[in-house]
Amino acid sequence: MNSSSSPLYAKRRRRNFITMALAYGATGFGLTWLVVILAVLLWEGFSGLSWAVFTEMTPPPGSAGGLLNPIAGSLVMTVIAVLIGTPLGILAGTYMAEYGRYDKLTTVVRFINDILLSAPSIVIGLFIYEIMVAQMGHFSGWAGAVSLAVIVVPVVVRTTEDMLILVPDTLREAAASIGLPRSLMIQKVAYRAARAGMVTGVLLAVARISGETAPLLFTALNNQFWSTNLNGPVSSLPVVIFQFALSPYKDWQKLAWTGALIITLAVLALSIIARILAAQRKTS
Amino acid sequence: MSVAAITVPTVTHVLSKDEDLMEKVSIRNLDFFYGDNRALKGINVSLYQGEVTAFIGPSGCGKSTLLRILNRMYDLYPNQRATGHVTIDNEDILSSSQDLNLLRAKVGMVFQKPTPFPMTIFENIAFGIRLYERVSKSELEDRVRHALERAALWEEVKDKLGANGLSLSGGQQQRLCIARTVAVQPEVILFDEPCSALDPISTAKIEELIDELKDDYTIAIVTHNMQQAARVSDFTAFMYLGELVEFGETTRIFTTPTDRRTQDYITGRFG
Amino acid sequence: MTDHTMKAFDTDLQDLARMVAEMGGLAEKQVADSVDALAKRDTALAQRVSAADANIDALQREIEERAVLTIARRQPMAVDLREIVGALRLANDLERIGDLAKNIAKRVMALNGEFPPPKLIRGVEHMTVLVLQQMKLVLDAYGRRDVGKAMTVWRSDEEIDAVCTSVFRELLTYMMEDPRNITFCIHLMFCAKNIERMGDHATNIAETVHYIIEGHPIADQRPKGDTTTIAALRTAG
Repeated sequence: MNSSSSPLYAKRRRRNFITMALAYGATGFGLTWLVVILAVLLWEGFSGLSWAVFTEMTPPPGSAGGLLNPIAGSLVMTVIAVLIGTPLGILAGTYMAEYGRYDKLTTVVRFINDILLSAPSIVIGLFIYEIMVAQMGHFSGWAGAVSLAVIVVPVVVRTTEDMLILVPDTLREAAASIGLPRSLMIQKVAYRAARAGMVTGVLLAVARISGETAPLLFTALNNQFWSTNLNGPVSSLPVVIFQFALSPYKDWQKLAWTGALIITLAVLALSIIARILAAQRKTS
Repeated sequence: MSVAAITVPTVTHVLSKDEDLMEKVSIRNLDFFYGDNRALKGINVSLYQGEVTAFIGPSGCGKSTLLRILNRMYDLYPNQRATGHVTIDNEDILSSSQDLNLLRAKVGMVFQKPTPFPMTIFENIAFGIRLYERVSKSELEDRVRHALERAALWEEVKDKLGANGLSLSGGQQQRLCIARTVAVQPEVILFDEPCSALDPISTAKIEELIDELKDDYTIAIVTHNMQQAARVSDFTAFMYLGELVEFGETTRIFTTPTDRRTQDYITGRFG
Repeated sequence: MTDHTMKAFDTDLQDLARMVAEMGGLAEKQVADSVDALAKRDTALAQRVSAADANIDALQREIEERAVLTIARRQPMAVDLREIVGALRLANDLERIGDLAKNIAKRVMALNGEFPPPKLIRGVEHMTVLVLQQMKLVLDAYGRRDVGKAMTVWRSDEEIDAVCTSVFRELLTYMMEDPRNITFCIHLMFCAKNIERMGDHATNIAETVHYIIEGHPIADQRPKGDTTTIAALRTAG
């Protein structure tokens, strides 16, 4: 008879307590650092937030200014990267999950994709430098966007494939059973069912590339002035933060903190939107 | 007794009914392979127009496998193949020249777990219709309404056609799937354990539905519930270990079966 | 035959069969005792027979209740269903046999001193021996599920009918000889008719046993040897 006073039960209860304490402790430890980072960011960066940050260009040291050109540059390059990378990623993921699910090719592609997913972004930057910047003879926003796209593709491939595989086969069979051809079934049924997950994947890719600095150093470089010419160097937030934070000038350092805060808040907003979208789909 | 030696089973066509029976689906010498594993051995059976044929047997006997051959569902997966002759209206559906999408529109299937599409109730049904036909908006609405009426679901959903299909109860979802199947105007309907996931009242409604539908279609139903097979079907086929052991009129199979194994199964003496 | 996966089902069927066998034994005894009372002019025995009929009726009710319960709980199919339906029909036939024996016992009590000469009883006794043989054989056929024995019973009903016809003729002549004989002759006629009907019920049981085993009723016509209905016309005419 199992009574609550038996020695075996007591040992279990002790072990349970210890393990739970460790779990709580680890969580607390991680959360603490997160809170510290956010607090420091807010503390240092918030005071620098003003309209000027969003309307004025990067200043030379000593004068007042803003972050208009890096913000614009980051936005443009991110959007182009997403426009290039998302269709590629979705189509590849669709092939892997639907048409070629049992193929050898899919196994190979999946393996390579996983490697690319965790490839050091500086290596990607160097690669694009070799094939685009060196060939073209100058730095450019296009090269920057392409290097970001190379980071976007594996993320989107992975999430698309995973989300599509999660769609139950019974749904596919149901679609097939009314005579739906495969391509239509994928478009109208599988995509619709996996939509939330796939959109979340794209948003996660965007969040990832908004903070990438290394590739941009080799491709888009930086630009002090406002430029709409993507064929030349383009400014971006991460690079500017890198430049300003390492400088000895106080106002530049302040702008760097503010930039960091802006990136963090943007990524936070994207993650929240992704979560809200996923929750909406679940309840509808 | 070597069961594997029997390739021509005791298929007694004792047709004591007066009505003429029209053979709709003819299965002859059908073998089915999962890779190297022979799951169906020499199946010979016919499905008749306007009649319900039930397939019963213990788990793993091959009844679902057999059903899924009739609309070539196995084609979606690698390493599965069928040999032999399966003809619907004298057309061999196993041949490589058979258009699978047309076949599947002709032979509809209702699955064990209700799977409405992630769309509105209206869209679920209109979707299939629009695939094959160009219909005006009003005609489409009529067709959707007709399909829902045939599935005995119209009264319950007529005020919420815009609601998501997944918001319905289990029994309603299954009837929605039946409406969706009926909307594309098939000639044969396959039911793969349609009531296993449903409560007794929903089950009774679906059985009633099958009874109403059978006049216009040829129906095959796989079920592990013997009483359901006895209630719903006109013909019953008992399968065991990939073979068709006995086939005949339901009334005879459940009162005086010929084969010992059939009797053991239906009286609960198996295993 | 292998056992049911649900052992309780086997128990239900065995209990039914046991109750039917018990009822059969009781019915046999009643038949033998009632004719015994007639031959030995034993009114005390006749009263006991009359009272004991209640046991047979009670068993029939029990069998019916049990059969209905088994059908509701087990959803029996094929041979199991036929077993239960068969048990119900057997209970019915055995209960009628019991009633007929009770009827004979009542007539013994009614005769009360006015007893017919022994030689007339011979015919009835001979019929009873045949009927008891039939009953034993058919209950045996039911217990062992022996179709051959059941068919033997089914074909042998003719003999009993023939003896009944001859008893009737004898009694008619006796009644025509002397009007004072009419009372006990009438009683005896009824007793003979009762025994002949017991034989018919035994044949019914044989048909039921055939149905249980084979799954369909006997295809042929039952051979009929009972011409009592037309016997009267011929002697009178």
